Amino acid sequence: MASRLLWARRAASYLRISTFHRGFSTVIKDLKYADTHEWVKVDGSSATVGISDHAQDHLGDVVYVELPEVGASVVQGKNFGAVESVKATSDVNSPVSGEVVEVNTELSGSPGLVNGSPYENGWIIKVKMSDTGWFASPLHAVVSAFHFPE
Amino acid sequence: MRLQRSLEACKFGIINYFDALKLQERLVSDRKSGKILDAILSLQHPPTYTLGKRQTDHNLLVSEADLKTMGAELHYTERGGDITFHGPRQAILYPIVSLRDIGFGARNYVEGLESVMIEVASFYGVNAHAGKTGETGVWVGDRKIGAIGVRISSGITSHGLAFNIDPDLRYFKHIVPCGIPDKGVTSLKRETEMELPPDEVIHEQLIHCFAKVFRFSDIQWKKQ
Repeated sequence: MASRLLWARRAASYLRISTFHRGFSTVIKDLKYADTHEWVKVDGSSATVGISDHAQDHLGDVVYVELPEVGASVVQGKNFGAVESVKATSDVNSPVSGEVVEVNTELSGSPGLVNGSPYENGWIIKVKMSDTGWFASPLHAVVSAFHFPE
Repeated sequence: MRLQRSLEACKFGIINYFDALKLQERLVSDRKSGKILDAILSLQHPPTYTLGKRQTDHNLLVSEADLKTMGAELHYTERGGDITFHGPRQAILYPIVSLRDIGFGARNYVEGLESVMIEVASFYGVNAHAGKTGETGVWVGDRKIGAIGVRISSGITSHGLAFNIDPDLRYFKHIVPCGIPDKGVTSLKRETEMELPPDEVIHEQLIHCFAKVFRFSDIQWKKQ
């Protein structure tokens, strides 16, 4: 995926046109992304989890967020909750393992925060990580950021 | 290079909601582990009311006891969407497909399901359209002809669409369909001036349109 972008950039530069205007999702520095488009921001052994701008765009308007209980365990790669949009419930998977220490209760009244502010006010859970070692598979901010028109 | 993607289409008659749910769970698990390729179930249900994950049972206007008297079942599910009714002469499709393989998210998928029903309605001269934002489904004017409720788990879909061929619409009076008051429910039979073929034909048309919209290169038919 990254090499396609590189090719596109080189081609665009050669042809003196700009690269894709549409299709760029916002990517924030210092966040790690799982390939299922959840992001995690790590601070010591504490992790905040949400879904990426790309993911919220693909979901449509979120009308409901199913949150886990505080104290529940989450396992890396397994689902911990779900969001509902356009009559579809989509599982949300945890990029880390650990214990849920906080959930974003604002999402009960304002589920649209996930769409409007996916990296800030739309955070979903905070986890005390059981393993501060890194992800098994390499995470790719670039892949999450750029999606090509379908 | 176009990838050859095959869709396995399984045709059933009328099957119980719970049985269909267990079958879907098994298929989703098999699809996740790569044991099977994409599949679609085509069936009808006996009179059944279902609720989505949000459990909006305030939209059920009768008691569960009354439902039993009517001979209808009630099921709570993990799908998106509000309360709805399924019954004989309503075509149900449950696609079990990997959205990740085609790079689709919930929105594109649901829009695809809407276009499948819109296209089949058009075969019978019925001009249907997708709902406004927040009103997922397929409408003729302000009457709903097709409903959608989907679950996506690790990118694999289950549940799906329900298209009213000619179900007994009186059952819808006992609910606020899809949680939207003031909007009616309709069927292909009500809206068309053409004579309808047997239900099986309409089910096949829905499957063909599904395969086209979601770019499958061929369909493997299996009758149960």
